Amino acid sequence: MERNNPDNDIFELLKTDVNKGFRLVVERYSSKLYWHIRRLVILHEDADDALQNTFINAWRNIGNFRNESSMYTWLYAIATNESLTIINKRTKNAAVSLDDLGSYFANSHEGSTWFDGDEAQTRLQNAILQLPEKQRIVFNLKYFDDMTYEDMSKVLNTSVGALKASYHHAVKKIENIITNG
Amino acid sequence: MMKEFKDISNKSPFKVPDNYFEEVKRKIISSTSGYSSVTKKISSFRKLRPYLAVAASIAVLVILSYTFIHIFSSGKDKTGLPEITLNEFSDNYLNDIDILTLEQSAGTIEPDMAWIEMTSKDIIDYLVLENIDINDIYEQL
Repeated sequence: MERNNPDNDIFELLKTDVNKGFRLVVERYSSKLYWHIRRLVILHEDADDALQNTFINAWRNIGNFRNESSMYTWLYAIATNESLTIINKRTKNAAVSLDDLGSYFANSHEGSTWFDGDEAQTRLQNAILQLPEKQRIVFNLKYFDDMTYEDMSKVLNTSVGALKASYHHAVKKIENIITNG
Repeated sequence: MMKEFKDISNKSPFKVPDNYFEEVKRKIISSTSGYSSVTKKISSFRKLRPYLAVAASIAVLVILSYTFIHIFSSGKDKTGLPEITLNEFSDNYLNDIDILTLEQSAGTIEPDMAWIEMTSKDIIDYLVLENIDINDIYEQL
Protein backbone atom coordinates (compact mmCIF):
# COMPACT_ATOMS: atom_id res chain seq x y z
CA MET A 1 0.00 0.00 0.00
CA GLU A 2 1.47 3.39 -1.03
CA ARG A 3 2.12 5.72 1.86
CA ASN A 4 0.64 8.77 0.17
CA ASN A 5 -2.33 7.05 -1.43
CA PRO A 6 -5.35 9.25 -0.72
CA ASP A 7 -7.52 6.14 -0.52
CA ASN A 8 -5.60 4.44 2.29
CA ASP A 9 -8.56 5.08 4.61
CA ILE A 10 -10.82 3.18 2.19
CA PHE A 11 -8.40 0.25 2.02
CA GLU A 12 -8.23 0.02 5.81
CA LEU A 13 -12.01 0.16 6.15
CA LEU A 14 -12.53 -2.45 3.41
CA LYS A 15 -10.36 -4.86 5.41
CA THR A 16 -12.45 -4.54 8.55
CA ASP A 17 -15.95 -3.81 7.21
CA VAL A 18 -16.42 -4.22 3.49
CA ASN A 19 -19.90 -2.66 3.50
CA LYS A 20 -18.77 0.53 5.23
CA GLY A 21 -15.65 0.64 3.07
CA PHE A 22 -17.70 0.38 -0.10
CA ARG A 23 -20.08 3.08 1.09
CA LEU A 24 -17.06 5.36 1.41
CA VAL A 25 -16.02 4.45 -2.13
CA VAL A 26 -19.48 5.43 -3.42
CA GLU A 27 -19.45 8.64 -1.39
CA ARG A 28 -16.05 9.67 -2.66
CA TYR A 29 -16.31 8.68 -6.31
CA SER A 30 -19.93 8.81 -7.46
CA SER A 31 -19.86 12.45 -8.55
CA LYS A 32 -16.47 12.30 -10.31
CA LEU A 33 -17.39 9.12 -12.13
CA TYR A 34 -20.80 10.45 -13.11
CA TRP A 35 -19.32 13.49 -14.83
CA HIS A 36 -16.68 11.43 -16.60
CA ILE A 37 -19.40 9.09 -17.87
CA ARG A 38 -21.80 11.92 -18.75
CA ARG A 39 -19.22 13.66 -20.89
CA LEU A 40 -18.88 10.44 -22.88
CA VAL A 41 -22.48 9.32 -23.18
CA ILE A 42 -24.05 12.81 -23.07
CA LEU A 43 -27.57 11.71 -22.06
CA HIS A 44 -28.39 11.77 -18.35
CA GLU A 45 -30.38 8.48 -18.39
CA ASP A 46 -27.48 6.67 -20.04
CA ALA A 47 -25.02 8.19 -17.60
CA ASP A 48 -27.22 7.12 -14.70
CA ASP A 49 -27.32 3.52 -15.99
CA ALA A 50 -23.58 3.42 -16.61
CA LEU A 51 -22.81 4.86 -13.18
CA GLN A 52 -24.89 2.28 -11.36
CA ASN A 53 -23.44 -0.53 -13.46
CA THR A 54 -19.97 0.76 -12.65
CA PHE A 55 -20.51 0.48 -8.92
CA ILE A 56 -22.26 -2.88 -9.15
CA ASN A 57 -19.34 -4.16 -11.18
CA ALA A 58 -16.90 -2.71 -8.65
CA TRP A 59 -18.81 -4.28 -5.77
CA ARG A 60 -18.73 -7.71 -7.38
CA ASN A 61 -14.97 -7.47 -7.79
CA ILE A 62 -14.05 -5.65 -4.61
CA GLY A 63 -12.74 -8.89 -3.14
CA ASN A 64 -10.24 -9.20 -5.99
CA PHE A 65 -9.07 -5.60 -5.79
CA ARG A 66 -5.44 -5.43 -4.73
CA ASN A 67 -4.62 -2.28 -2.85
CA GLU A 68 -1.26 -1.93 -4.57
CA SER A 69 -3.37 -0.59 -7.45
CA SER A 70 -5.15 2.70 -7.33
CA MET A 71 -8.85 2.72 -6.49
CA TYR A 72 -9.10 5.87 -8.61
CA THR A 73 -7.76 4.35 -11.85
CA TRP A 74 -9.54 1.06 -11.23
CA LEU A 75 -12.92 2.76 -10.95
CA TYR A 76 -12.27 5.04 -13.90
CA ALA A 77 -11.38 2.00 -16.02
CA ILE A 78 -14.66 0.29 -15.11
CA ALA A 79 -16.65 3.49 -15.72
CA THR A 80 -15.00 4.00 -19.11
CA ASN A 81 -15.84 0.45 -20.18
CA GLU A 82 -19.45 0.82 -19.04
CA SER A 83 -19.71 4.07 -21.01
CA LEU A 84 -18.34 2.43 -24.15
CA THR A 85 -20.83 -0.42 -23.73
CA ILE A 86 -23.68 2.06 -23.68
CA ILE A 87 -22.33 4.04 -26.62
CA ASN A 88 -21.92 0.87 -28.69
CA LYS A 89 -25.46 -0.25 -27.86
CA ARG A 90 -26.77 3.17 -28.82
CA THR A 91 -24.85 3.18 -32.11
CA LYS A 92 -26.58 -0.05 -33.05
CA ASN A 93 -30.04 1.35 -32.21
CA ALA A 94 -29.42 4.88 -33.44
CA ALA A 95 -32.73 6.65 -32.93
CA VAL A 96 -30.86 9.75 -31.81
CA SER A 97 -27.75 11.07 -33.45
CA LEU A 98 -25.56 12.93 -31.07
CA ASP A 99 -23.08 14.10 -33.66
CA ASP A 100 -24.61 17.52 -33.59
CA LEU A 101 -25.21 18.44 -30.00
CA GLY A 102 -26.30 21.91 -30.91
CA SER A 103 -29.37 20.88 -32.87
CA TYR A 104 -30.04 18.00 -30.48
CA PHE A 105 -30.15 20.25 -27.47
CA ALA A 106 -32.10 22.91 -29.31
CA ASN A 107 -34.72 20.53 -30.65
CA SER A 108 -35.36 18.03 -27.90
CA HIS A 109 -36.87 18.29 -24.45
CA GLU A 110 -34.04 16.24 -23.00
CA GLY A 111 -31.56 18.58 -24.57
CA SER A 112 -33.07 21.79 -23.33
CA THR A 113 -33.66 20.38 -19.86
CA TRP A 114 -30.28 18.89 -19.23
CA PHE A 115 -27.86 21.17 -21.03
CA ASP A 116 -27.00 24.54 -19.65
CA GLY A 117 -24.03 25.67 -21.69
CA ASP A 118 -23.49 28.89 -23.55
CA GLU A 119 -22.76 28.98 -27.26
CA ALA A 120 -19.01 28.55 -26.72
CA GLN A 121 -19.48 25.48 -24.54
CA THR A 122 -21.90 24.00 -27.07
CA ARG A 123 -19.35 24.42 -29.85
CA LEU A 124 -16.65 22.88 -27.68
CA GLN A 125 -18.83 19.87 -26.85
CA ASN A 126 -19.71 19.49 -30.53
CA ALA A 127 -16.05 19.60 -31.48
CA ILE A 128 -15.20 16.96 -28.87
CA LEU A 129 -17.93 14.72 -30.29
CA GLN A 130 -16.18 14.80 -33.68
CA LEU A 131 -13.13 13.06 -32.23
CA PRO A 132 -12.70 9.30 -32.54
CA GLU A 133 -14.03 7.54 -29.47
CA LYS A 134 -10.73 6.70 -27.75
CA GLN A 135 -9.27 10.11 -28.47
CA ARG A 136 -12.38 11.71 -27.00
CA ILE A 137 -11.80 9.77 -23.78
CA VAL A 138 -8.17 10.88 -23.65
CA PHE A 139 -9.14 14.49 -24.23
CA ASN A 140 -11.87 14.45 -21.59
CA LEU A 141 -9.66 12.79 -18.96
CA LYS A 142 -6.90 15.31 -19.51
CA TYR A 143 -8.90 18.48 -20.06
CA PHE A 144 -11.81 18.03 -17.65
CA ASP A 145 -10.42 15.58 -15.04
CA ASP A 146 -6.82 16.81 -15.20
CA MET A 147 -5.69 13.21 -15.00
CA THR A 148 -1.95 12.51 -15.26
CA TYR A 149 -0.77 10.52 -18.25
CA GLU A 150 0.55 7.85 -15.88
CA ASP A 151 -2.91 7.33 -14.37
CA MET A 152 -4.52 7.51 -17.79
CA SER A 153 -2.15 4.80 -18.94
CA LYS A 154 -3.57 2.49 -16.25
CA VAL A 155 -7.18 3.44 -17.03
CA LEU A 156 -6.86 2.89 -20.78
CA ASN A 157 -4.07 0.31 -20.79
CA THR A 158 -2.15 2.43 -23.30
CA SER A 159 1.39 3.78 -23.19
CA VAL A 160 2.07 7.27 -21.87
CA GLY A 161 3.71 8.27 -25.13
CA ALA A 162 0.68 7.29 -27.18
CA LEU A 163 -1.61 9.19 -24.83
CA LYS A 164 0.46 12.36 -25.02
CA ALA A 165 0.43 12.21 -28.81
CA SER A 166 -3.30 11.52 -28.86
CA TYR A 167 -4.07 14.49 -26.61
CA HIS A 168 -1.85 16.79 -28.64
CA HIS A 169 -3.69 15.83 -31.86
CA ALA A 170 -7.07 16.12 -30.17
CA VAL A 171 -6.32 19.70 -29.13
CA LYS A 172 -5.25 20.58 -32.70
CA LYS A 173 -8.42 19.08 -34.18
CA ILE A 174 -10.70 20.86 -31.70
CA GLU A 175 -9.00 24.20 -32.27
CA ASN A 176 -9.40 23.70 -36.00
CA ILE A 177 -13.10 22.81 -35.71
CA ILE A 178 -13.89 25.73 -33.44
CA THR A 179 -11.90 28.24 -35.49
CA ASN A 180 -13.25 27.13 -38.86
CA GLY A 181 -16.79 26.46 -37.66
CA MET B 1 -15.30 36.73 -31.67
CA MET B 2 -15.04 33.02 -31.15
CA LYS B 3 -13.13 32.20 -27.99
CA GLU B 4 -10.12 29.98 -28.21
CA PHE B 5 -11.20 26.70 -26.78
CA LYS B 6 -8.77 26.95 -23.87
CA ASP B 7 -10.60 30.07 -22.78
CA ILE B 8 -13.88 28.18 -22.67
CA SER B 9 -14.80 27.11 -19.18
CA ASN B 10 -14.06 23.46 -18.45
CA LYS B 11 -16.98 23.43 -16.04
CA SER B 12 -19.53 20.91 -17.26
CA PRO B 13 -22.45 22.42 -19.16
CA PHE B 14 -24.63 19.39 -18.45
CA LYS B 15 -27.33 19.50 -15.79
CA VAL B 16 -28.64 16.81 -13.46
CA PRO B 17 -32.02 16.45 -11.76
CA ASP B 18 -32.30 17.95 -8.28
CA ASN B 19 -31.00 15.66 -5.50
CA TYR B 20 -29.74 13.24 -8.12
CA PHE B 21 -26.48 12.38 -6.37
CA GLU B 22 -28.12 11.65 -3.01
CA GLU B 23 -30.71 9.42 -4.72
CA VAL B 24 -28.23 7.52 -6.83
CA LYS B 25 -25.90 6.89 -3.88
CA ARG B 26 -28.85 5.48 -1.95
CA LYS B 27 -29.81 3.22 -4.89
CA ILE B 28 -26.26 1.97 -5.31
CA ILE B 29 -25.83 1.18 -1.61
CA SER B 30 -29.16 -0.65 -1.42
CA SER B 31 -28.44 -2.72 -4.54
CA THR B 32 -25.03 -3.77 -3.27
CA SER B 33 -25.84 -4.34 0.39
CA GLY B 34 -27.28 -7.82 -0.39
CA TYR B 35 -23.73 -9.13 0.05
CA SER B 36 -24.11 -8.76 3.80
CA SER B 37 -26.74 -11.52 3.96
CA VAL B 38 -24.32 -13.97 2.33
CA THR B 39 -21.65 -12.92 4.79
CA LYS B 40 -24.03 -13.63 7.68
CA LYS B 41 -24.65 -17.19 6.43
CA ILE B 42 -20.94 -17.86 6.33
CA SER B 43 -20.50 -16.26 9.76
CA SER B 44 -23.09 -18.59 11.27
CA PHE B 45 -21.18 -21.56 10.00
CA ARG B 46 -17.91 -20.15 11.24
CA LYS B 47 -19.48 -19.71 14.67
CA LEU B 48 -20.51 -23.36 14.63
CA ARG B 49 -17.08 -24.61 13.58
CA PRO B 50 -15.51 -24.70 17.06
CA TYR B 51 -18.49 -26.67 18.37
CA LEU B 52 -18.18 -29.08 15.47
CA ALA B 53 -14.51 -29.52 16.31
CA VAL B 54 -15.49 -30.28 19.92
CA ALA B 55 -18.20 -32.69 18.77
CA ALA B 56 -15.76 -34.50 16.50
CA SER B 57 -13.13 -34.60 19.26
CA ILE B 58 -15.57 -36.01 21.80
CA ALA B 59 -16.73 -38.58 19.27
CA VAL B 60 -13.12 -39.75 18.87
CA LEU B 61 -12.61 -39.78 22.64
CA VAL B 62 -15.74 -41.78 23.27
CA ILE B 63 -14.89 -44.25 20.53
CA LEU B 64 -11.41 -44.74 21.97
CA SER B 65 -12.78 -45.00 25.51
CA TYR B 66 -15.35 -47.56 24.43
CA THR B 67 -12.68 -49.52 22.65
CA PHE B 68 -10.37 -49.56 25.63
CA ILE B 69 -13.14 -50.36 28.06
CA HIS B 70 -14.15 -53.20 25.82
CA ILE B 71 -10.60 -54.48 25.68
CA PHE B 72 -10.00 -54.19 29.43
CA SER B 73 -13.30 -55.78 30.45
CA SER B 74 -13.40 -58.47 27.82
CA GLY B 75 -13.20 -61.27 30.43
CA LYS B 76 -10.04 -62.69 28.96
CA ASP B 77 -6.80 -63.07 30.81
CA LYS B 78 -5.76 -59.62 31.85
CA THR B 79 -2.45 -60.80 33.29
CA GLY B 80 0.45 -58.86 31.92
CA LEU B 81 -1.68 -56.08 30.52
CA PRO B 82 -0.24 -52.77 31.71
CA GLU B 83 -2.44 -50.50 33.70
CA ILE B 84 -2.90 -47.19 32.00
CA THR B 85 -3.66 -44.02 33.85
CA LEU B 86 -5.81 -41.24 32.49
CA ASN B 87 -2.76 -38.99 32.15
CA GLU B 88 -0.89 -41.61 30.14
CA PHE B 89 -3.94 -42.11 27.99
CA SER B 90 -4.15 -38.34 27.42
CA ASP B 91 -0.47 -38.02 26.61
CA ASN B 92 -0.39 -40.92 24.18
CA TYR B 93 -3.70 -40.70 22.46
CA LEU B 94 -5.07 -37.24 22.70
CA ASN B 95 -2.12 -35.17 21.43
CA ASP B 96 -4.10 -33.80 18.54
CA ILE B 97 -7.15 -32.89 20.54
CA ASP B 98 -7.48 -29.66 22.49
CA ILE B 99 -7.60 -30.97 26.07
CA LEU B 100 -8.79 -27.66 27.50
CA THR B 101 -11.76 -27.67 25.10
CA LEU B 102 -12.62 -31.24 26.04
CA GLU B 103 -12.43 -30.49 29.75
CA GLN B 104 -14.66 -27.50 29.37
CA SER B 105 -17.19 -29.48 27.41
CA ALA B 106 -17.07 -32.62 29.53
CA GLY B 107 -19.60 -31.32 31.99
CA THR B 108 -22.07 -30.15 29.38
CA ILE B 109 -22.30 -33.06 27.00
CA GLU B 110 -23.55 -36.42 28.15
CA PRO B 111 -21.72 -39.35 26.66
CA ASP B 112 -24.26 -40.96 24.49
CA MET B 113 -24.14 -44.05 22.35
CA ALA B 114 -25.52 -41.89 19.45
CA TRP B 115 -22.24 -39.89 19.34
CA ILE B 116 -20.26 -43.04 18.70
CA GLU B 117 -22.19 -43.66 15.50
CA MET B 118 -22.02 -40.01 14.25
CA THR B 119 -20.14 -39.69 10.97
CA SER B 120 -19.04 -36.62 8.97
CA LYS B 121 -22.07 -37.14 6.77
CA ASP B 122 -24.29 -37.00 9.85
CA ILE B 123 -22.75 -33.73 10.92
CA ILE B 124 -23.14 -32.23 7.44
CA ASP B 125 -26.75 -33.39 7.23
CA TYR B 126 -27.40 -31.77 10.57
CA LEU B 127 -25.98 -28.48 9.42
CA VAL B 128 -28.08 -28.56 6.26
CA LEU B 129 -31.19 -29.06 8.42
CA GLU B 130 -30.02 -26.02 10.38
CA ASN B 131 -30.28 -24.08 7.10
CA ILE B 132 -26.55 -23.73 6.52
CA ASP B 133 -25.89 -23.62 2.76
CA ILE B 134 -24.26 -26.89 1.58
CA ASN B 135 -21.82 -24.95 -0.64
CA ASP B 136 -20.65 -22.94 2.36
CA ILE B 137 -19.99 -26.21 4.21
CA TYR B 138 -17.91 -27.66 1.40
CA GLU B 139 -15.97 -24.42 1.09
CA GLN B 140 -14.83 -24.83 4.69
CA LEU B 141 -13.72 -28.49 4.31
